[in-house]
Amino acid sequence: MKALIRKDFYVIWKQMRIFVLVVLFMSMVNTTFNSVFIVIWCSMLPYTAMAYDERSHWNQLAAMMPYSRRDVVLSKYVLGWLCMAASGLLCLAMQTVIGQFSGNATDVPTLLFSLCLGVISLDITLPAVMHFGVERGRMIFMVVIFGVAIGASFVADRVEKLPDFRLPVVILLPLAVIAATAASIPLSMKLYKVN
Amino acid sequence: MNAIELSHIHKSFGEFAIRDLCLTVPSGTICGLVGENGAGKSTTIRLLMNALRPDGGTAKVLGVDVTSPEFRAVKEDVGVVLDEAYYPETLTAVQVGKVMAGTYRRWDQGVYEDYLRRFDLPGKKPFKDFSRGMKMKLAIAVALSHQPRLLILDEATSGLDPIVRDEVLEIFNEFTREEDHSILISSHILSDLEKLCDYIAFLHQGELLFCDEKDRLLETYGVFAGTAEQLESLREEAVLGREEARGYGGGRALVRRDEVPAGLELERATIEDIILFMVKGARK
Repeated sequence: MKALIRKDFYVIWKQMRIFVLVVLFMSMVNTTFNSVFIVIWCSMLPYTAMAYDERSHWNQLAAMMPYSRRDVVLSKYVLGWLCMAASGLLCLAMQTVIGQFSGNATDVPTLLFSLCLGVISLDITLPAVMHFGVERGRMIFMVVIFGVAIGASFVADRVEKLPDFRLPVVILLPLAVIAATAASIPLSMKLYKVN
Repeated sequence: MNAIELSHIHKSFGEFAIRDLCLTVPSGTICGLVGENGAGKSTTIRLLMNALRPDGGTAKVLGVDVTSPEFRAVKEDVGVVLDEAYYPETLTAVQVGKVMAGTYRRWDQGVYEDYLRRFDLPGKKPFKDFSRGMKMKLAIAVALSHQPRLLILDEATSGLDPIVRDEVLEIFNEFTREEDHSILISSHILSDLEKLCDYIAFLHQGELLFCDEKDRLLETYGVFAGTAEQLESLREEAVLGREEARGYGGGRALVRRDEVPAGLELERATIEDIILFMVKGARK
């Protein structure tokens, strides 16, 4: 699986350089929207790698190599998690540096909230993309991202207005992440198609 | 031991189907898989590597059923070159080497680098800027660099210039000098197969018309060229296919040497003659 993740990093490296610049730029403005946007945006990187795979028919070649179905599927999840974690850490580092000058504190809860949302969006969209491919799965992906964005701003609003709402979110969201991931990975393995 | 054993394989795709395919490639031999476009060669290779599930029948590679969990380990021993190289376009040859080093346990970086030099492949040029010949050479270099015991090659020599093609065929020949090394190669370039193979398997519209030793095929068949009357006088069982010669009214026929009168002058049949006449015969 490490080999597949390495391959994906090589493939998306050019995009990642742009991502890093955008993350650095957006992290300078410490808002909830920016944190959520950056992490969710990074959760899309596996789809960029999958688009390259599809264009080159890599999966046909991978089917000839000693990779298991589990390796192929899980590598896309791990790639998404790594990209999101890296973007979260980069945001945090930028917020810390800028906070030294502006006096603003880092917003770790919002970053963790964003990471949870990013993982959940990946969990919802990856099985569909595994089955339909990036081109056809894109519509489902857009609907989910749109839904997650609306849901996130709704939850963020309530959390700010109702202090009592914070605790259930803190407990429920990680549980939702675990449940969604536990359901999503086997589903992706079942739906994965060699294009 | 047989390197490849396909037994009564069925696979249907609606209009096209592989039907009752039985094919055996003994260990230590080179088998050429021949057939027109769409005959089922690539499908056969995908079935062999368990990239496709058959509707019926069994497939074994290096003695292991391809649907068994043990087959994943067997893939370490199989080098595959498909009809296109299929590496992501932004990857370079150096990066491909690093990915493959993590893929195959017995990856030999030294051997890979030797092949890159031998094939004159640039290490840092993106794959998308490679010519077709360079792409195929990279795929061949990868297939040969993890100490495989079996090579499965799908049109691996197409797109290569004659000089490199000759060099690659020599590499394949070298590969089978080890007695447990085997090759299944599909190609449209029948002269290559005639040069390289011990066995020839001919797939036509999803059915295996024959799989036989090349030398036996060449001994069994001959080409008769003569007038229309001479052709008509040949026994029906002796003729596998015929073609009319343009212009003078005569023709040529692929015949079984042991079914025609002794003393009848026959030309030596090439593998290309045998295949072409059989396709024509099958169409009639």
